Amino acid sequence: MKQEFEVKDKAILDVAELILNEISSIGADEGETWVSRSVLTELYYEQSKISMVRTVFSDNVSIKLLKDKRKGTIRLNSFGPTDIQKAVAEAWQAAEKAAPDEAEGIAELQENLSFSSGEKEPNLDLMYQQLTDFLEDTRRDFPKISFDSIGIEHQYSEKLYANTNGVRLSEEQGLYQLSNMFMARDEGKTSSFNYFATIYKNPADRVTEPNRVRRLLSETEQQIETEQFEGSFVGDLVITPGCLQDILWFIADTYLQDGALISGTSPWKERLNQQVASPLVNISLVAEHPELPGASKLSGDGYVVENMKVIENGVLKNFSLSRYGASKTGMQRSANNGSTVVFNQGETPLEELLAGVEKGILLGRFSGGSPSPSGDLSGVAKNSFLVENGKVTAPLSEVMIAGNLSDMLRDTVAVSQERESSGYWLLPWIRVSGVTISGK
Amino acid sequence: MLQDHLQAYVTKYGFSGYTELRAQQNRNRSVAMLNGSLIANSSGVSRGVSARVVKGGAYGFASATGYGDDPEAIARIVATASQNAGFLDRRVQRGEPDFLPNRPLTRKDGLEHDVAVEQSYLLDMVDELDSYIAERFPRLLSRRVFARSLDMEKLLYTSDGIVAHSFVPRSNVYIFMTTQDKDGQPVELYKVLGGYGNFLEKFKNAEDFFENLEKQHELLMQKADGVYAKPGIQTVILDSDLAGILAHEAVGHTVEADFVQTGSVGGPMFGQQVASEKVSLVDIAHSAFGELAPVPVFVDDEGTPAQDQMLIENGILTGYMHNKESARKFGHKANGNARAFDFSDEPLIRMRNTCILPGTDKLEDMIASVEDGYLMTDMNNGQADSTGEFMFGVPLGYEIKNGKLGRALKDTTVSGVAFEVLKTADMVSDTVTWTNSGMCGKKQMIPVGMGGPAIKVKINVGGRA
Repeated sequence: MKQEFEVKDKAILDVAELILNEISSIGADEGETWVSRSVLTELYYEQSKISMVRTVFSDNVSIKLLKDKRKGTIRLNSFGPTDIQKAVAEAWQAAEKAAPDEAEGIAELQENLSFSSGEKEPNLDLMYQQLTDFLEDTRRDFPKISFDSIGIEHQYSEKLYANTNGVRLSEEQGLYQLSNMFMARDEGKTSSFNYFATIYKNPADRVTEPNRVRRLLSETEQQIETEQFEGSFVGDLVITPGCLQDILWFIADTYLQDGALISGTSPWKERLNQQVASPLVNISLVAEHPELPGASKLSGDGYVVENMKVIENGVLKNFSLSRYGASKTGMQRSANNGSTVVFNQGETPLEELLAGVEKGILLGRFSGGSPSPSGDLSGVAKNSFLVENGKVTAPLSEVMIAGNLSDMLRDTVAVSQERESSGYWLLPWIRVSGVTISGK
Repeated sequence: MLQDHLQAYVTKYGFSGYTELRAQQNRNRSVAMLNGSLIANSSGVSRGVSARVVKGGAYGFASATGYGDDPEAIARIVATASQNAGFLDRRVQRGEPDFLPNRPLTRKDGLEHDVAVEQSYLLDMVDELDSYIAERFPRLLSRRVFARSLDMEKLLYTSDGIVAHSFVPRSNVYIFMTTQDKDGQPVELYKVLGGYGNFLEKFKNAEDFFENLEKQHELLMQKADGVYAKPGIQTVILDSDLAGILAHEAVGHTVEADFVQTGSVGGPMFGQQVASEKVSLVDIAHSAFGELAPVPVFVDDEGTPAQDQMLIENGILTGYMHNKESARKFGHKANGNARAFDFSDEPLIRMRNTCILPGTDKLEDMIASVEDGYLMTDMNNGQADSTGEFMFGVPLGYEIKNGKLGRALKDTTVSGVAFEVLKTADMVSDTVTWTNSGMCGKKQMIPVGMGGPAIKVKINVGGRA
């Protein structure tokens, strides 16, 4: 919820004002700070039992100051005035030694705003009930599943961005998150491990309700006995939503974000408003979405983020650049340089999308190295199945895929109507043709 | 250095039941330059106190930022941990006994490395290295120089009388160079310098590393003219870096006792032949081959005195890595593998310095023995699975034809099933090299050391047909 600027915990505001005063009085031209206070409450399951309740109280501060475009930054986890003064002095020393960078700066004056969502207090009783229900549901419906760990946590935080231009933005957020790692086992045999994380607002929700959770548990149970194949072929890749999220993260890093554009290695650096992907590809970064409670409203460099199209009908509409990245490259700052991503739903029912595959794999998880700067990517297909003549057949192991990220978006031939959400991404299945798939 | 404010708390309140009380400070510095522009210049301190209390087998943990001389503030953290343990104990009613106490012990390790390092020292070092690269290799498409240091200081008091104060520094410089191949595609190669020690100790003069930069550029040029590896099962010599990551990712994780209980492949293979008899694998606690290991652990974060943990001995799987709880469950001895990353983290079963022990072969003889295969020299990341299936990225390698090194390779990957690959190890070199820049992820990140000799194996190579 967007509202007039108001920080609930006055200590946060006081610390921020102290920091800005120190920044000015030490002689810096500009400066900014993030000040936050949070409480994490976690219920943890490991070694076959609910093992631990954990509470983490955190105060965190980050400071950046500039003198003649020379930058010094520092982080600390204390609100103590002496620690703050010492930290500003240290950042100042760092700035004095740094080389000037004309691209440096801080966010311009904008409307001061606050945002809030979720509950401040965790409900530990409900969290405990949710975890025991989840374990019970899984034992009943997916008896071969063995959890390595499950964490249910509630995190409440209030954070403030303030700078010497007068910008004040704050966000108060209370969210539940469940994350886990599991495998399936039967008669001494073990599947590949798998995992998921989900962000939500209500701890009374049944974890196994969404199709995504049931699908992942069920598919993992089917992967205890896997098959391998010899040789290699060029075929179709059907990428599942969770795996697509990893691929999109690689794409952002290789083509869209500060690092690739400042270094000049992004193969798309001259491709704005050009076709870089199949017309079926529509990707946005979002600040608000009813299915994505994990979206943050503020960017790390002090702006309110907005929903932003990255690729529309295959055309590159926006990079994902910070204020600094934009200034450094002479491009425009992006309205969103976050990671809460939405891929529009397609027109093909999933069943039909799979039915169109002559030979290929259904890719559950990609385990591989970072792509090269040119977008070349290779790694192991995990939690994956062979698809032949439109049918999902054998679970696979020891299968490698190799391709290029840009080529994969260009060669996307179908996008599913169905999508899955984790609370911070909302993505379909996509089918990509022409990928090298190799067995043993 | 962390002042000892815990003793005053312990003197005043003592311990009620099994408790670990830890003050910790992680101090890090980061400087990064991209094409001569400073893109990161930051330092940070994460400092706080945590307490972990165990009641009837139920764990309660609490932590807070800030660490001072007020025993009442520490008492509030212990009380929250105790309430958390009580909440869980009332619900699960496990009724397990407390862990058997260790013999009381007081240790101080590595504190002499805690010296003041100014941020400007890192800035100057990065600037000098970057300037050298810019001047010597003006045709590079891109260059990045990162300096990073992480000093972890811990002060632990446990209810069974362990007092351990440790300081473990790590300092690295990462050099990335990017050029273009004949098709105009970017080709990158990176190298990591440094390791155990504070930044002043590890990086005395920039000139000491100019030779490394020359060598890296030469290798990059070879890679730019390189070829893609042939996909499929190949004879490959994995040089030390890769053997080290194989030991860590492919075997180490499957023999962490928590993962064994979940169902990793390490469980049913205990006592069995899982590798060729030329392969022995150990998780070193703090010292090996007459010197300190990359990430020395003398007492772990549960207060267990650390000792080496043998994992594979002459090809037989003989041990797991444990915390106190899993050691009791398995009837094994805990050897100090319970480690926490930050003050706000609870100890988990973690590797320390996994290392394949050296063999008797010379690397040149190993190369000469390969008719058609590869020498893989660099690694960039890796992942393992509960099945022992693994994959890691190989940013540099070479063809071997008729016993001689040939053209360089472009980026590729190697993968396989750990125990199957290790069974094919028929030559093991006589020289171990450590890497000390890796962070292992498992709920928390943590620094780990990895080491090994070169090993010759059959392994699946990714690549292009």
